[in-house]
Amino acid sequence: MRQFIWQRWSQALAVAGLLAALVGLAAPGLLGAALAQEPLTLTFWHYWDGVNGDTLDRLAQEYNAQHPGVVVEPVFIPNPELLSKLQTAIASGDTPALAIADVIWMAALKRSGGLAPLDSFITASGLDLSDFYASQLDFDRFEGQLYALPVSTNNLELFYNKDLFRAAGLDPERPPQTWDELVEFGQRIRQADPSKFGYELFTQGGEGTTWQFQVFLWQLGGEFLTPDGQPAFDSPAGVQALQFWSDLIRTYQVSALRPWGLFGSGDAAMVMDGSWMVQFFPPQINFELGTARFPIPSGGQPATNMGGEHIFILKGDPAREQAAFDFIQYFTSTAVQVQWDQATGFTPVRRSVAEDPGYQAWLRDTQPLLIPFVESQQYARARPSVPQYPEISAAFSRQVERVLQGQATPEEALAQAAADVRAILAGP
Amino acid sequence: MMPIQVRLGRLALHLVLAAGALLSALPFLWAITTSLKPARLTYTPPLVIPTHFQWQNYVDAWRAAPFPRFYLNSAIMAVAITAGQVLLSALAAYAFARLRFPGRDLLFLAVLGTMMVPFHVTLIPNYLVIRWLGWVDTYYALVVPRIVGAFSIFLFRQFFLTIPSELDDAARIDGCSRLGVFWRVMLPLSGPAAAAVAIFAFLFAWNDFLWPLIVTNSVDMRPIQVGLAVFQGRYGTRWTLLMAGTIIATVPALVVYIVAQRRFIEGVTLTGLKG
Amino acid sequence: MSPPKALAHPPLLSTSLQGFLVAFERHDWPSAFVCLLPVALIFGLFNIYPALYSVFLSFFRWDGFNLQREFVGLDNYRTLVHSGAFWHSVLVTFYYASGATLLSLVLGLALATALNSNLAGRTIYRTLYFLPVVTPMVAAGVVWQRLFDPTHGVINGALSWLGVTGPNWLSDPAWAMPALILVGTWRRAGFNLVVYLAALQAVPRIYYEAARLDGASAWALFRFITVPLVAPASLFLAITSLIDGFQMLDLVFVMTNGGPLDATNVLGFYLYQNAFRFFKLGYASAVAYAIFALIFLVTLVQWRLVGRRAEVAYQEAA
Repeated sequence: MRQFIWQRWSQALAVAGLLAALVGLAAPGLLGAALAQEPLTLTFWHYWDGVNGDTLDRLAQEYNAQHPGVVVEPVFIPNPELLSKLQTAIASGDTPALAIADVIWMAALKRSGGLAPLDSFITASGLDLSDFYASQLDFDRFEGQLYALPVSTNNLELFYNKDLFRAAGLDPERPPQTWDELVEFGQRIRQADPSKFGYELFTQGGEGTTWQFQVFLWQLGGEFLTPDGQPAFDSPAGVQALQFWSDLIRTYQVSALRPWGLFGSGDAAMVMDGSWMVQFFPPQINFELGTARFPIPSGGQPATNMGGEHIFILKGDPAREQAAFDFIQYFTSTAVQVQWDQATGFTPVRRSVAEDPGYQAWLRDTQPLLIPFVESQQYARARPSVPQYPEISAAFSRQVERVLQGQATPEEALAQAAADVRAILAGP
Repeated sequence: MMPIQVRLGRLALHLVLAAGALLSALPFLWAITTSLKPARLTYTPPLVIPTHFQWQNYVDAWRAAPFPRFYLNSAIMAVAITAGQVLLSALAAYAFARLRFPGRDLLFLAVLGTMMVPFHVTLIPNYLVIRWLGWVDTYYALVVPRIVGAFSIFLFRQFFLTIPSELDDAARIDGCSRLGVFWRVMLPLSGPAAAAVAIFAFLFAWNDFLWPLIVTNSVDMRPIQVGLAVFQGRYGTRWTLLMAGTIIATVPALVVYIVAQRRFIEGVTLTGLKG
Repeated sequence: MSPPKALAHPPLLSTSLQGFLVAFERHDWPSAFVCLLPVALIFGLFNIYPALYSVFLSFFRWDGFNLQREFVGLDNYRTLVHSGAFWHSVLVTFYYASGATLLSLVLGLALATALNSNLAGRTIYRTLYFLPVVTPMVAAGVVWQRLFDPTHGVINGALSWLGVTGPNWLSDPAWAMPALILVGTWRRAGFNLVVYLAALQAVPRIYYEAARLDGASAWALFRFITVPLVAPASLFLAITSLIDGFQMLDLVFVMTNGGPLDATNVLGFYLYQNAFRFFKLGYASAVAYAIFALIFLVTLVQWRLVGRRAEVAYQEAA
């Protein structure tokens, strides 16, 4: 009896063991089958808050409704920390399927080895790259391959306070068109009320100073770096632009050395700022706002500086990468970009969006403040896409500050900046 | 009746203290005033005295993110960290303040040393540890790494040093073990220190932002400070909503302070036994 | 293996257990081991290991992203030693940390002494002076920027009322750091107040009463009873505020962005910029250990000089 029971037990055990082994062997297959039934979740990291984030959520929901096998899940990550999250994600291998990044970060990201190249997807899908503004795609190319696509952009133009214009006896519908007028109008503002400033310069250093200065430089026909990435700003154009900045503060006293924010609080009449402020200024200010193409120096040319976000795929299994690209194709399509730009106030990254009759009608009828920014899109220039750019920008702005503080002449400062930038480019 | 000089002195003291208190409170008052303004008046004076009462800002701020869930996460995290810091740090501080063992001062310096490594450079390696433990996106990741702190250990140690050692000797003679001395003598006598540690540990946990953001991936695991970042975006700050959200988020920290500081009652003479 | 050895084990175990229990009662170290075990585990895993890992990173050139790191030996440390920007940051950081520490210590103790009394409204004062600690830095940054505004600001308004022309605080390389020190003191004083209030609880009132009977003045009470008796707390605050001061970052973020002309480019900001803006994580790790070495040195000096004296003063007073 005992013997029998033991036998039964051992048999049962053997069968159970066999079954367990079989299940174990089959499990990945079973699990895979189960997962195939489950929708594929594509996590999408971004830093768009407010209306921008809400619009993305809506677009993702629409996409998910049309694509039953896929769930795109946008996750908001606060701005500067998105970069740290991407670093830890790439370093550890726990990556989201998709993410966006500020154009400035793309130079480092595309070199990271963590992004999937898009070329084979683009070829297979027949996406027409020539419709995207070429200067945008410059940020995304590395060693002959494309690692990202632009999804949103913006640029810098003039904002002005119509109430302060009126108070100074200026025509609020006639913003300055030349640098001379910028000075003249600014002085009129100061004469009318000495506690107000004519034009607010970004004097606090860093990229805020550098990217505004680049517009002045480009307007005069200067270049920031040469095509092979060496300093080009120590040119006559560079000296003239920097002298003008210095004069705005020290000679004309139209501008002042102050922390940023005078325009928003109504203490400065004019400022160069980004198209995103068309959305942010009006609800938060207590004066009538105007926008215009930024004044141009005599003999100069129109130019502006572009910012914005680019979208990319983080390396994963082929199915995830393909599904992620399908969403990118949807998100960057002309039809969706028109919706996106109308909801967010970002300016177009594709020609077909800028020329879309629906978009143009919307712009004309509802967004007059945005028109100068869309018009100048064709003159928008890209900052150099070298990985050392942020450090170059810091070194450059430090020298601009020296001039503004009265510690160096433009010639001295730019020569020093060129030396510093060469040292940064040479390494360590 | 107090003599006239004393009363004049008191009055002068009150004047100085009130002026200082106003300066201390100014930014907080500005936050309250701004949180109640219509957005249009964000940048306009007055700065401190509320003239508008747009309570809708609070409603809007509350709805802009899943704040009830964020509140819960912050509460779980902050309470667990505070409890851990008070108990475990006191235990360690007792060893450093009262027990004799080889390498004690060296170990204590090592503890202090953990405060001196800038947090930013250990972020990635720290994340790798959390990932190795399988704790990404869990409360463990939010709580365990911060459940002890050099700051709390140091603070407790300094307070234990001021407790007369005659008290432990007496307890030891009565047959109390070393850990018994900790539990029956040191801990009960360090109420004010424990209150200070609790205030700081709670504040630290409640205000922490970067670590929770790095070790969580799902929105459901986020604490309240990450929620506030919604208002301080890439392209601009929505000041009225940010300040409304900030006030909502600061209230628990203030309540904890007000409750805990009641421990600092003038004239507690627990340690007066010696004098 | 062999049976005798296996049999030998239990008695050995029991003697060692007995020995352990005896040792536990006789020596301090077993209790210390128990007290320190949780701390050691957590610090080991979440502080010491990551710190060693980042020491390892400091020997590489790494942008924080790239899966490939380039071993460069001591290059990062060599660069650092020769970097004018780094040494400038060291000086600026010393300036901030010592200024804010000193002022906030004095202010904290003065406030605690005033508020550790039966003064009317002391609970309200205690709460108001604590507010800076809980006020979010973004709000504080905005308000202080306005207070420091050279034309509309209250501070220069008050100075001109006294007949002094105030500086362009945050945009003047000479005045930006004093402005930050004031804000840092503003925030830290409430924090120090809490610690000093707790410390004053441990000072027996009877000391004051005895001294008062001897006719001691208020200043004498403060100087000869309060100051020495809160010395352990002062040492704690001096060390922790210096450590915090050396790593300060948020004030710079919301108020000056490191400027003007790097006047407020403190080490915390220098490190952050190199790690996350310039993508030089290897170099930033080297900076971190330079900061670590500096703080460690300063702490050691404080510990040896001030610490010893503080404890002696405490014992003499008590």
